[in-house]
Amino acid sequence: MKKGMNYLLIGVFLVASLLVVYPSQAEEAKITALNPLGSAPLIRRVSMAPRLDTLAGKTVYIVNVMFPLTDQFLVEMQKAFAERYPQVNWVLRDKRGTYFDDDPKLWAEIKEKGNAMIMGIGH
Amino acid sequence: MTVEKLGIPTAPVITSVFEDLVKTNAYKKGMPLQRFTFVPHPIAGKPASECREYLKGNDPITGKPVMQEIIEALTKPLTEEEKKTGFIERPAPPRLVGPDTPDNLQRLFLKNAWTDGLPIVLPTEEKVAEMLKGTSQKPNKVVATMRPSPPHEAWEYTVEKVAINAVMAGAKPEYFPVILAIASTGITSLFTSTTSFARMVVVNGPVRNEINMNSGIGALGPFNHANATIGRAWTLISRNLGGGGTPGSTYLGSQGNNFNYNNLCFAEKEEELPKGWKPLHVQKGFKPEESVVSLFSGWSIIDNGGFKPYPYNEVMKHQSLAFYTSGTGNCFKSGVPDSAALTLLLDPLVAKDLKEARGFKTKEELSQWLMKNTFKSAWAYWACRPDDLQKAKDGVEPYASWLKLPEGALVPEPVFFDPKKPIEIMVLGGQTNPFWQAGDFNYVGSASVDKWK
Repeated sequence: MKKGMNYLLIGVFLVASLLVVYPSQAEEAKITALNPLGSAPLIRRVSMAPRLDTLAGKTVYIVNVMFPLTDQFLVEMQKAFAERYPQVNWVLRDKRGTYFDDDPKLWAEIKEKGNAMIMGIGH
Repeated sequence: MTVEKLGIPTAPVITSVFEDLVKTNAYKKGMPLQRFTFVPHPIAGKPASECREYLKGNDPITGKPVMQEIIEALTKPLTEEEKKTGFIERPAPPRLVGPDTPDNLQRLFLKNAWTDGLPIVLPTEEKVAEMLKGTSQKPNKVVATMRPSPPHEAWEYTVEKVAINAVMAGAKPEYFPVILAIASTGITSLFTSTTSFARMVVVNGPVRNEINMNSGIGALGPFNHANATIGRAWTLISRNLGGGGTPGSTYLGSQGNNFNYNNLCFAEKEEELPKGWKPLHVQKGFKPEESVVSLFSGWSIIDNGGFKPYPYNEVMKHQSLAFYTSGTGNCFKSGVPDSAALTLLLDPLVAKDLKEARGFKTKEELSQWLMKNTFKSAWAYWACRPDDLQKAKDGVEPYASWLKLPEGALVPEPVFFDPKKPIEIMVLGGQTNPFWQAGDFNYVGSASVDKWK
Protein backbone atom coordinates (compact mmCIF):
# COMPACT_ATOMS: atom_id res chain seq x y z
CA MET A 1 0.00 0.00 0.00
CA LYS A 2 2.76 2.32 1.03
CA LYS A 3 4.75 1.29 -2.07
CA GLY A 4 1.75 1.93 -4.26
CA MET A 5 1.27 5.37 -2.75
CA ASN A 6 4.92 6.20 -3.48
CA TYR A 7 4.54 5.22 -7.12
CA LEU A 8 1.39 7.32 -7.34
CA LEU A 9 3.17 10.34 -5.91
CA ILE A 10 6.10 9.90 -8.35
CA GLY A 11 3.65 9.69 -11.24
CA VAL A 12 1.80 12.83 -10.18
CA PHE A 13 5.13 14.65 -9.82
CA LEU A 14 6.23 13.62 -13.33
CA VAL A 15 2.97 14.68 -14.95
CA ALA A 16 3.07 18.00 -13.12
CA SER A 17 6.65 18.59 -14.36
CA LEU A 18 5.63 17.98 -17.96
CA LEU A 19 2.73 20.39 -17.66
CA VAL A 20 5.12 23.09 -16.44
CA VAL A 21 7.55 22.57 -19.39
CA TYR A 22 5.27 22.13 -22.41
CA PRO A 23 2.35 24.57 -22.11
CA SER A 24 4.61 27.61 -22.83
CA GLN A 25 5.47 26.18 -26.24
CA ALA A 26 1.96 25.08 -27.08
CA GLU A 27 0.62 28.54 -26.26
CA GLU A 28 3.19 30.57 -28.29
CA ALA A 29 1.34 32.65 -30.86
CA LYS A 30 1.75 31.80 -34.50
CA ILE A 31 1.73 34.46 -37.20
CA THR A 32 1.85 34.66 -40.97
CA ALA A 33 4.18 36.84 -42.99
CA LEU A 34 4.11 37.99 -46.59
CA ASN A 35 6.50 36.33 -49.02
CA PRO A 36 9.25 38.78 -50.03
CA LEU A 37 10.11 37.13 -53.36
CA GLY A 38 9.42 38.75 -56.70
CA SER A 39 8.09 37.04 -59.81
CA ALA A 40 10.51 35.21 -62.06
CA PRO A 41 9.59 35.44 -65.74
CA LEU A 42 8.23 32.53 -67.78
CA ILE A 43 10.99 30.61 -69.52
CA ARG A 44 10.57 30.03 -73.22
CA ARG A 45 12.59 27.04 -74.39
CA VAL A 46 15.22 27.75 -77.03
CA SER A 47 15.63 24.98 -79.56
CA MET A 48 19.11 23.59 -79.86
CA ALA A 49 20.48 23.52 -83.39
CA PRO A 50 20.73 20.10 -85.10
CA ARG A 51 24.16 18.56 -84.66
CA LEU A 52 26.56 17.76 -87.46
CA ASP A 53 27.09 14.18 -88.63
CA THR A 54 30.78 14.88 -89.02
CA LEU A 55 33.15 17.84 -88.76
CA ALA A 56 35.29 16.66 -91.69
CA GLY A 57 35.27 19.29 -94.42
CA LYS A 58 33.42 21.75 -92.18
CA THR A 59 34.40 25.17 -90.79
CA VAL A 60 34.37 25.55 -87.02
CA TYR A 61 34.75 29.02 -85.52
CA ILE A 62 36.60 29.34 -82.22
CA VAL A 63 35.38 32.61 -80.69
CA ASN A 64 37.28 34.48 -77.98
CA VAL A 65 34.80 36.26 -75.67
CA MET A 66 37.62 38.71 -74.75
CA PHE A 67 37.96 38.22 -71.03
CA PRO A 68 41.34 39.74 -70.10
CA LEU A 69 44.46 37.54 -70.30
CA THR A 70 42.69 34.48 -71.70
CA ASP A 71 43.72 34.81 -75.37
CA GLN A 72 46.46 32.19 -75.05
CA PHE A 73 43.98 29.44 -74.25
CA LEU A 74 42.00 30.02 -77.45
CA VAL A 75 45.18 30.21 -79.53
CA GLU A 76 46.28 26.86 -78.10
CA MET A 77 42.82 25.44 -78.69
CA GLN A 78 43.00 26.25 -82.37
CA LYS A 79 46.46 24.69 -82.65
CA ALA A 80 45.46 21.56 -80.73
CA PHE A 81 42.33 20.97 -82.80
CA ALA A 82 44.13 21.65 -86.07
CA GLU A 83 46.77 19.07 -85.17
CA ARG A 84 44.27 16.41 -84.19
CA TYR A 85 41.58 17.13 -86.81
CA PRO A 86 43.40 18.51 -89.88
CA GLN A 87 40.42 17.83 -92.14
CA VAL A 88 38.45 20.56 -90.33
CA ASN A 89 38.88 24.28 -90.98
CA TRP A 90 39.41 25.91 -87.53
CA VAL A 91 38.92 29.69 -87.60
CA LEU A 92 39.92 31.74 -84.54
CA ARG A 93 38.12 35.05 -84.06
CA ASP A 94 37.83 37.73 -81.37
CA LYS A 95 34.36 38.88 -80.41
CA ARG A 96 33.81 42.63 -80.60
CA GLY A 97 34.31 44.75 -77.48
CA THR A 98 34.34 43.22 -74.00
CA TYR A 99 32.85 39.95 -72.85
CA PHE A 100 29.55 41.75 -72.14
CA ASP A 101 29.13 42.99 -75.70
CA ASP A 102 27.12 41.35 -78.46
CA ASP A 103 28.61 40.91 -81.94
CA PRO A 104 25.82 40.44 -84.51
CA LYS A 105 28.24 40.86 -87.42
CA LEU A 106 30.32 37.93 -86.24
CA TRP A 107 27.22 35.76 -85.73
CA ALA A 108 26.09 36.63 -89.25
CA GLU A 109 29.51 35.67 -90.60
CA ILE A 110 29.40 32.35 -88.75
CA LYS A 111 25.92 31.68 -90.08
CA GLU A 112 27.11 32.38 -93.62
CA LYS A 113 30.55 30.78 -93.62
CA GLY A 114 30.68 28.45 -90.63
CA ASN A 115 29.11 25.17 -89.58
CA ALA A 116 29.74 25.22 -85.82
CA MET A 117 31.10 27.42 -83.06
CA ILE A 118 33.19 26.89 -79.93
CA MET A 119 33.18 29.85 -77.54
CA GLY A 120 35.38 30.58 -74.51
CA ILE A 121 36.47 31.55 -72.01
CA GLY A 122 36.03 33.60 -68.86
CA HIS A 123 38.59 33.96 -66.05
CA MET B 1 22.39 30.71 -77.52
CA THR B 2 22.07 33.44 -80.13
CA VAL B 3 24.11 31.33 -82.51
CA GLU B 4 22.15 28.14 -81.71
CA LYS B 5 19.01 30.04 -82.74
CA LEU B 6 20.66 30.64 -86.11
CA GLY B 7 20.89 26.86 -86.57
CA ILE B 8 24.61 26.62 -85.77
CA PRO B 9 25.60 24.05 -83.12
CA THR B 10 27.77 25.48 -80.35
CA ALA B 11 30.13 24.22 -77.65
CA PRO B 12 30.72 26.75 -74.87
CA VAL B 13 33.90 26.19 -72.82
CA ILE B 14 33.92 27.49 -69.22
CA THR B 15 36.22 27.25 -66.22
CA SER B 16 35.00 24.81 -63.60
CA VAL B 17 34.14 27.19 -60.73
CA PHE B 18 31.29 28.61 -62.79
CA GLU B 19 29.41 25.34 -63.26
CA ASP B 20 26.42 26.41 -61.13
CA LEU B 21 26.28 29.84 -62.69
CA VAL B 22 26.30 28.75 -66.32
CA LYS B 23 23.88 25.85 -65.85
CA THR B 24 21.44 28.02 -63.89
CA ASN B 25 21.71 30.74 -66.49
CA ALA B 26 21.22 28.32 -69.37
CA TYR B 27 18.08 26.99 -67.67
CA LYS B 28 16.72 30.50 -67.14
CA LYS B 29 17.39 31.41 -70.76
CA GLY B 30 15.54 28.37 -72.03
CA MET B 31 18.29 25.90 -72.89
CA PRO B 32 18.54 23.77 -69.74
CA LEU B 33 20.59 21.08 -71.47
CA GLN B 34 23.14 23.32 -73.16
CA ARG B 35 26.30 21.29 -73.75
CA PHE B 36 29.08 22.83 -71.65
CA THR B 37 32.67 21.69 -71.44
CA PHE B 38 34.66 22.68 -68.35
CA VAL B 39 38.37 23.18 -67.85
CA PRO B 40 40.31 23.83 -64.64
CA HIS B 41 40.12 27.31 -63.12
CA PRO B 42 41.63 29.85 -63.64
CA ILE B 43 42.73 30.25 -67.22
CA ALA B 44 43.64 33.94 -67.19
CA GLY B 45 47.37 34.49 -67.41
CA LYS B 46 48.25 30.81 -67.88
CA PRO B 47 51.18 30.10 -70.21
CA ALA B 48 50.73 28.21 -73.47
CA SER B 49 52.09 24.97 -72.01
CA GLU B 50 49.51 24.92 -69.23
CA CYS B 51 46.68 25.78 -71.62
CA ARG B 52 47.76 22.80 -73.70
CA GLU B 53 47.70 20.54 -70.67
CA TYR B 54 44.14 21.61 -69.90
CA LEU B 55 43.05 20.99 -73.48
CA LYS B 56 44.62 17.54 -73.58
CA GLY B 57 43.35 16.68 -70.11
CA ASN B 58 39.93 15.90 -68.70
CA ASP B 59 36.91 18.01 -67.87
CA PRO B 60 37.15 18.35 -64.05
CA ILE B 61 33.34 18.10 -63.73
CA THR B 62 32.51 15.16 -66.03
CA GLY B 63 35.91 13.46 -66.21
CA LYS B 64 35.68 13.23 -70.00
CA PRO B 65 38.58 14.27 -72.26
CA VAL B 66 38.09 17.97 -73.01
CA MET B 67 38.64 17.90 -76.75
CA GLN B 68 36.47 14.83 -77.22
CA GLU B 69 33.72 16.45 -75.18
CA ILE B 70 33.79 19.57 -77.35
CA ILE B 71 33.59 17.49 -80.53
CA GLU B 72 30.67 15.51 -79.10
CA ALA B 73 28.89 18.73 -78.14
CA LEU B 74 28.88 19.60 -81.84
CA THR B 75 28.20 16.17 -83.32
CA LYS B 76 26.30 13.89 -80.94
CA PRO B 77 22.62 13.83 -82.07
CA LEU B 78 20.14 15.71 -79.92
CA THR B 79 18.17 13.67 -77.40
CA GLU B 80 14.37 13.89 -77.21
CA GLU B 81 14.75 15.99 -74.08
CA GLU B 82 17.09 18.39 -75.87
CA LYS B 83 14.63 18.74 -78.75
CA LYS B 84 11.78 19.93 -76.48
CA THR B 85 10.16 23.30 -77.17
CA GLY B 86 7.49 25.34 -75.42
CA PHE B 87 7.73 26.83 -71.95
CA ILE B 88 9.23 25.91 -68.61
CA GLU B 89 6.77 26.92 -65.92
CA ARG B 90 7.97 28.05 -62.54
CA PRO B 91 5.29 28.19 -59.88
CA ALA B 92 4.71 31.64 -58.39
CA PRO B 93 5.83 31.87 -54.77
CA PRO B 94 2.95 31.55 -52.26
CA ARG B 95 1.66 34.90 -51.03
CA LEU B 96 1.84 34.00 -47.36
CA VAL B 97 4.46 32.24 -45.28
CA GLY B 98 3.43 30.40 -42.13
CA PRO B 99 1.59 30.35 -39.80
CA ASP B 100 4.44 29.67 -37.44
CA THR B 101 6.11 31.18 -34.41
CA PRO B 102 8.14 34.34 -34.98
CA ASP B 103 11.37 32.50 -34.13
CA ASN B 104 10.62 29.76 -36.64
CA LEU B 105 9.76 32.32 -39.31
CA GLN B 106 13.06 34.11 -38.68
CA ARG B 107 14.84 30.79 -39.20
CA LEU B 108 12.82 30.11 -42.35
CA PHE B 109 13.60 33.49 -43.88
CA LEU B 110 17.30 32.94 -43.17
CA LYS B 111 17.24 29.37 -44.50
CA ASN B 112 15.45 30.47 -47.68
CA ALA B 113 18.14 33.13 -48.28
CA TRP B 114 15.60 35.96 -48.11
CA THR B 115 17.73 38.07 -45.78
CA ASP B 116 21.18 39.63 -45.65
CA GLY B 117 22.14 37.22 -42.89
CA LEU B 118 20.87 39.51 -40.12
CA PRO B 119 17.52 39.20 -38.29
CA ILE B 120 14.72 41.01 -40.08
CA VAL B 121 11.44 42.61 -39.09
CA LEU B 122 8.88 39.98 -40.04
CA PRO B 123 6.65 41.39 -42.81
CA THR B 124 3.23 40.63 -41.37
CA GLU B 125 0.19 41.84 -43.29
CA GLU B 126 -0.34 44.53 -40.66
CA LYS B 127 3.20 45.86 -40.91
CA VAL B 128 3.14 45.86 -44.70
CA ALA B 129 -0.22 47.66 -44.71
CA GLU B 130 1.33 50.30 -42.45
CA MET B 131 4.32 50.65 -44.80
CA LEU B 132 1.98 51.08 -47.78
CA LYS B 133 0.54 54.19 -46.11
CA GLY B 134 3.86 55.86 -46.94
CA THR B 135 2.89 56.14 -50.60
CA SER B 136 -0.20 57.06 -52.60
CA GLN B 137 0.69 54.43 -55.21
CA LYS B 138 -1.46 51.31 -55.43
CA PRO B 139 0.02 48.11 -53.98
CA ASN B 140 -0.26 46.22 -57.24
CA LYS B 141 1.42 48.88 -59.36
CA VAL B 142 4.49 47.48 -61.11
CA VAL B 143 7.52 49.45 -60.00
CA ALA B 144 10.23 48.09 -62.30
CA THR B 145 12.20 45.02 -63.30
CA MET B 146 15.66 44.22 -62.02
CA ARG B 147 18.40 41.77 -62.95
CA PRO B 148 21.74 41.00 -61.26
CA SER B 149 23.63 41.88 -64.46
CA PRO B 150 22.88 42.12 -68.20
CA PRO B 151 22.99 38.42 -69.11
CA HIS B 152 20.59 37.42 -66.32
CA GLU B 153 16.80 37.34 -66.41
CA ALA B 154 14.87 40.34 -65.11
CA TRP B 155 12.32 39.96 -62.31
CA GLU B 156 9.29 42.19 -62.03
CA TYR B 157 8.01 43.63 -58.73
CA THR B 158 5.15 45.67 -57.36
CA VAL B 159 4.81 48.41 -54.77
CA GLU B 160 3.62 45.80 -52.26
CA LYS B 161 6.67 43.62 -52.82
CA VAL B 162 8.94 46.61 -52.23
CA ALA B 163 6.97 47.35 -49.06
CA ILE B 164 7.52 43.79 -47.80
CA ASN B 165 11.27 44.17 -48.20
CA ALA B 166 11.21 47.67 -46.70
CA VAL B 167 9.50 46.26 -43.59
CA MET B 168 12.12 43.53 -43.40
CA ALA B 169 14.87 46.14 -43.48
CA GLY B 170 13.30 47.88 -40.49
CA ALA B 171 12.31 51.02 -42.41
CA LYS B 172 9.50 53.37 -41.41
CA PRO B 173 6.60 54.27 -43.71
CA GLU B 174 7.90 57.82 -44.12
CA TYR B 175 11.06 56.40 -45.73
CA PHE B 176 9.05 54.37 -48.23
CA PRO B 177 9.02 56.95 -51.10
CA VAL B 178 12.83 57.05 -50.96
CA ILE B 179 12.98 53.25 -51.08
CA LEU B 180 10.47 53.15 -53.93
CA ALA B 181 12.52 55.73 -55.84
CA ILE B 182 15.59 53.51 -55.52
CA ALA B 183 13.57 50.43 -56.55
CA SER B 184 12.11 52.31 -59.52
CA THR B 185 15.53 52.61 -61.14
CA GLY B 186 15.71 48.83 -61.60
CA ILE B 187 19.37 49.08 -60.63
CA THR B 188 20.57 46.27 -58.44
CA SER B 189 22.76 46.89 -55.43
CA LEU B 190 24.19 43.38 -55.83
CA PHE B 191 25.71 43.49 -59.31
CA THR B 192 27.01 40.03 -60.06
CA SER B 193 30.69 39.99 -60.85
CA THR B 194 33.79 38.27 -59.56
CA THR B 195 35.14 41.76 -58.77
CA SER B 196 32.91 42.38 -55.71
CA PHE B 197 31.02 45.51 -56.73
CA ALA B 198 29.65 48.05 -54.27
CA ARG B 199 26.92 50.66 -54.60
CA MET B 200 26.31 54.07 -53.09
CA VAL B 201 22.99 55.89 -52.66
CA VAL B 202 22.85 59.64 -52.07
CA VAL B 203 19.70 61.50 -51.07
CA ASN B 204 19.11 65.16 -51.89
CA GLY B 205 16.31 67.64 -51.37
CA PRO B 206 13.80 68.32 -48.59
CA VAL B 207 13.13 64.65 -47.81
CA ARG B 208 16.52 64.42 -46.11
CA ASN B 209 15.36 66.53 -43.21
CA GLU B 210 11.74 65.34 -43.33
CA ILE B 211 12.88 61.83 -42.40
CA ASN B 212 15.87 62.88 -40.26
CA MET B 213 18.61 61.44 -42.45
CA ASN B 214 22.18 62.07 -41.37
CA SER B 215 24.42 64.24 -43.51
CA GLY B 216 26.57 65.51 -40.66
CA ILE B 217 28.85 63.90 -38.13
CA GLY B 218 29.21 60.16 -38.79
CA ALA B 219 26.95 60.31 -41.87
CA LEU B 220 28.61 57.29 -43.45
CA GLY B 221 28.59 55.34 -40.23
CA PRO B 222 25.86 53.49 -38.33
CA PHE B 223 23.40 54.91 -35.74
CA ASN B 224 21.03 56.80 -38.04
CA HIS B 225 17.82 54.84 -38.55
CA ALA B 226 16.91 56.26 -41.98
CA ASN B 227 20.41 55.94 -43.47
CA ALA B 228 20.75 52.39 -42.13
CA THR B 229 17.39 50.98 -43.16
CA ILE B 230 17.03 52.67 -46.55
CA GLY B 231 20.42 51.34 -47.59
CA ARG B 232 19.59 47.90 -46.22
CA ALA B 233 16.23 47.84 -48.01
CA TRP B 234 18.01 48.23 -51.35
CA THR B 235 20.07 45.11 -50.62
CA LEU B 236 17.00 43.06 -49.68
CA ILE B 237 15.14 44.33 -52.76
CA SER B 238 18.08 43.39 -54.95
CA ARG B 239 18.17 39.92 -53.43
CA ASN B 240 14.47 39.05 -53.28
CA LEU B 241 13.05 41.08 -56.15
CA GLY B 242 16.05 41.34 -58.46
CA GLY B 243 17.26 37.77 -58.49
CA GLY B 244 20.62 38.73 -57.02
CA GLY B 245 22.70 37.78 -54.02
CA THR B 246 22.94 34.00 -54.38
CA PRO B 247 26.58 33.06 -53.70
CA GLY B 248 28.04 31.01 -56.55
CA SER B 249 25.28 31.93 -58.95
CA THR B 250 24.39 35.63 -58.80
CA TYR B 251 26.84 36.78 -56.12
CA LEU B 252 30.25 35.93 -57.41
CA GLY B 253 32.52 38.49 -55.82
CA SER B 254 35.64 36.55 -54.97
CA GLN B 255 35.97 38.31 -51.61
CA GLY B 256 32.59 40.03 -51.38
CA ASN B 257 32.10 43.64 -50.37
CA ASN B 258 31.07 44.83 -46.91
CA PHE B 259 29.39 47.88 -48.48
CA ASN B 260 26.69 45.50 -49.74
CA TYR B 261 25.02 45.61 -46.31
CA ASN B 262 24.03 49.26 -46.49
CA ASN B 263 25.23 50.62 -49.83
CA LEU B 264 26.89 53.72 -48.38
CA CYS B 265 23.52 55.40 -47.93
CA PHE B 266 23.75 59.04 -46.86
CA ALA B 267 22.27 62.50 -47.40
CA GLU B 268 24.30 65.31 -48.94
CA LYS B 269 24.94 68.22 -46.58
CA GLU B 270 23.45 70.80 -48.91
CA GLU B 271 23.36 73.47 -46.17
CA GLU B 272 27.17 73.47 -45.94
CA LEU B 273 27.96 73.60 -49.65
CA PRO B 274 30.27 76.52 -50.45
CA LYS B 275 28.47 79.28 -52.34
CA GLY B 276 28.38 78.35 -56.01
CA TRP B 277 28.71 74.62 -55.34
CA LYS B 278 25.44 72.97 -56.37
CA PRO B 279 23.88 69.95 -54.71
CA LEU B 280 24.31 66.72 -56.67
CA HIS B 281 20.66 66.53 -57.79
CA VAL B 282 20.77 70.07 -59.17
CA GLN B 283 23.93 69.15 -61.08
CA LYS B 284 21.91 66.30 -62.59
CA GLY B 285 19.12 68.59 -63.73
CA PHE B 286 16.62 68.50 -60.86
CA LYS B 287 15.29 71.57 -59.07
CA PRO B 288 16.68 72.34 -55.59
CA GLU B 289 13.26 71.78 -54.00
CA GLU B 290 12.88 68.31 -55.50
CA SER B 291 13.76 65.23 -53.46
CA VAL B 292 15.95 62.83 -55.39
CA VAL B 293 18.00 59.66 -54.94
CA SER B 294 21.20 59.19 -56.95
CA LEU B 295 22.98 55.88 -57.36
CA PHE B 296 26.63 55.08 -57.88
CA SER B 297 28.56 51.95 -58.72
CA GLY B 298 32.14 51.11 -57.82
CA TRP B 299 34.27 49.02 -55.53
CA SER B 300 36.20 50.83 -52.81
CA ILE B 301 36.83 53.92 -50.71
CA ILE B 302 40.01 55.54 -49.36
CA ASP B 303 39.72 57.80 -46.33
CA ASN B 304 42.10 60.75 -46.19
CA GLY B 305 42.93 63.29 -43.51
CA GLY B 306 43.58 66.80 -44.73
CA PHE B 307 46.85 67.41 -42.93
CA LYS B 308 49.98 66.92 -45.04
CA PRO B 309 50.71 66.90 -47.85
CA TYR B 310 48.77 69.94 -49.03
CA PRO B 311 46.97 71.23 -51.07
CA TYR B 312 44.09 68.75 -51.06
CA ASN B 313 43.49 68.76 -54.81
CA GLU B 314 47.08 67.64 -55.44
CA VAL B 315 46.64 64.80 -52.94
CA MET B 316 43.40 63.83 -54.69
CA LYS B 317 45.28 63.45 -57.99
CA HIS B 318 47.65 60.90 -56.47
CA GLN B 319 44.88 59.22 -54.52
CA SER B 320 42.84 58.66 -57.63
CA LEU B 321 45.62 56.56 -59.15
CA ALA B 322 45.23 53.93 -56.44
CA PHE B 323 42.07 52.44 -57.93
CA TYR B 324 43.37 49.84 -60.32
CA THR B 325 40.00 48.14 -60.86
CA SER B 326 38.19 51.14 -62.23
CA GLY B 327 40.21 51.97 -65.30
CA THR B 328 43.38 53.36 -63.78
CA GLY B 329 44.86 49.92 -64.38
CA ASN B 330 42.32 47.78 -66.09
CA CYS B 331 42.48 47.99 -69.87
CA PHE B 332 40.64 45.30 -71.75
CA LYS B 333 42.07 45.81 -75.20
CA SER B 334 44.35 48.17 -77.03
CA GLY B 335 42.33 50.79 -78.89
CA VAL B 336 39.45 50.51 -76.44
CA PRO B 337 40.41 53.14 -73.85
CA ASP B 338 38.93 52.72 -70.42
CA SER B 339 38.40 56.03 -68.60
CA ALA B 340 38.80 55.71 -64.86
CA ALA B 341 36.15 56.59 -62.27
CA LEU B 342 36.40 58.80 -59.19
CA THR B 343 33.89 60.12 -56.68
CA LEU B 344 34.88 62.44 -53.82
CA LEU B 345 32.97 62.77 -50.54
CA LEU B 346 34.23 65.96 -48.89
CA ASP B 347 33.76 67.15 -45.34
CA PRO B 348 32.49 70.78 -45.48
CA LEU B 349 35.88 71.93 -44.09
CA VAL B 350 37.62 70.44 -47.13
CA ALA B 351 35.08 71.87 -49.55
CA LYS B 352 35.50 75.32 -47.95
CA ASP B 353 39.27 75.15 -48.29
CA LEU B 354 39.09 74.10 -51.92
CA LYS B 355 36.79 77.04 -52.69
CA GLU B 356 38.38 79.77 -50.60
CA ALA B 357 42.07 78.84 -50.57
CA ARG B 358 42.37 77.05 -53.90
CA GLY B 359 39.84 79.00 -55.91
CA PHE B 360 37.52 76.23 -57.16
CA LYS B 361 34.34 78.24 -57.51
CA THR B 362 32.20 75.22 -58.40
CA LYS B 363 32.29 71.44 -58.07
CA GLU B 364 32.64 71.31 -61.86
CA GLU B 365 35.84 73.39 -61.77
CA LEU B 366 37.45 70.99 -59.32
CA SER B 367 36.25 67.99 -61.34
CA GLN B 368 37.64 69.42 -64.57
CA TRP B 369 40.94 70.39 -62.98
CA LEU B 370 41.44 66.84 -61.71
CA MET B 371 40.47 65.37 -65.08
CA LYS B 372 42.90 67.63 -66.90
CA ASN B 373 45.82 67.17 -64.52
CA THR B 374 45.87 63.52 -63.47
CA PHE B 375 48.35 61.26 -65.28
CA LYS B 376 49.79 57.82 -64.71
CA SER B 377 53.42 57.01 -64.08
CA ALA B 378 55.19 55.36 -67.00
CA TRP B 379 55.45 52.12 -65.04
CA ALA B 380 51.68 51.97 -64.45
CA TYR B 381 50.87 53.00 -68.00
CA TRP B 382 52.98 50.34 -69.73
CA ALA B 383 52.07 47.66 -67.20
CA CYS B 384 48.41 48.18 -68.01
CA ARG B 385 48.76 48.46 -71.76
CA PRO B 386 51.07 45.75 -73.15
CA ASP B 387 49.65 46.25 -76.65
CA ASP B 388 50.54 49.95 -76.56
CA LEU B 389 54.01 49.03 -75.25
CA GLN B 390 54.48 46.84 -78.32
CA LYS B 391 53.37 49.73 -80.53
CA ALA B 392 55.91 51.95 -78.76
CA LYS B 393 58.66 49.42 -79.48
CA ASP B 394 57.51 49.25 -83.10
CA GLY B 395 57.94 53.02 -83.40
CA VAL B 396 54.26 53.97 -83.51
CA GLU B 397 53.60 57.47 -82.22
CA PRO B 398 52.84 58.87 -79.76
CA TYR B 399 53.75 55.69 -77.87
CA ALA B 400 57.32 55.63 -79.14
CA SER B 401 58.01 59.14 -77.80
CA TRP B 402 56.33 58.33 -74.51
CA LEU B 403 58.60 55.32 -74.12
CA LYS B 404 61.61 57.64 -74.27
CA LEU B 405 60.41 59.78 -71.34
CA PRO B 406 62.83 59.82 -68.39
CA GLU B 407 62.30 57.57 -65.39
CA GLY B 408 59.74 59.05 -63.03
CA ALA B 409 57.96 60.97 -65.76
CA LEU B 410 54.21 60.88 -66.21
CA VAL B 411 52.66 59.70 -69.45
CA PRO B 412 50.76 62.69 -70.88
CA GLU B 413 47.48 60.91 -71.47
CA PRO B 414 44.81 61.96 -68.93
CA VAL B 415 43.57 59.16 -66.71
CA PHE B 416 40.06 60.67 -66.67
CA PHE B 417 39.31 61.58 -70.26
CA ASP B 418 35.64 60.83 -70.81
CA PRO B 419 33.47 63.96 -70.37
CA LYS B 420 30.49 61.62 -69.94
CA LYS B 421 32.16 60.26 -66.79
CA PRO B 422 33.08 63.42 -64.83
CA ILE B 423 34.57 63.18 -61.37
CA GLU B 424 31.61 63.45 -59.00
CA ILE B 425 31.81 65.46 -55.79
CA MET B 426 29.48 65.54 -52.79
CA VAL B 427 29.71 67.22 -49.41
CA LEU B 428 28.87 65.56 -46.11
CA GLY B 429 30.28 65.43 -42.62
CA GLY B 430 30.27 67.12 -39.26
CA GLN B 431 33.33 69.39 -39.63
CA THR B 432 35.20 67.85 -36.72
CA ASN B 433 38.21 67.26 -38.99
CA PRO B 434 39.04 68.08 -42.62
CA PHE B 435 38.67 64.55 -43.99
CA TRP B 436 37.47 63.33 -47.31
CA GLN B 437 36.81 59.95 -48.86
CA ALA B 438 37.72 59.04 -52.42
CA GLY B 439 36.07 56.13 -54.17
CA ASP B 440 36.28 54.48 -57.58
CA PHE B 441 32.57 55.04 -58.11
CA ASN B 442 30.69 55.99 -61.28
CA TYR B 443 27.39 57.84 -61.29
CA VAL B 444 24.69 55.48 -62.56
CA GLY B 445 21.44 57.45 -62.39
CA SER B 446 18.91 59.44 -60.35
CA ALA B 447 15.19 59.12 -59.61
CA SER B 448 12.54 61.39 -58.15
CA VAL B 449 11.36 60.61 -54.63
CA ASP B 450 8.40 62.99 -54.94
CA LYS B 451 6.83 60.82 -57.63
CA TRP B 452 6.49 58.01 -55.08
CA LYS B 453 4.97 59.99 -52.20
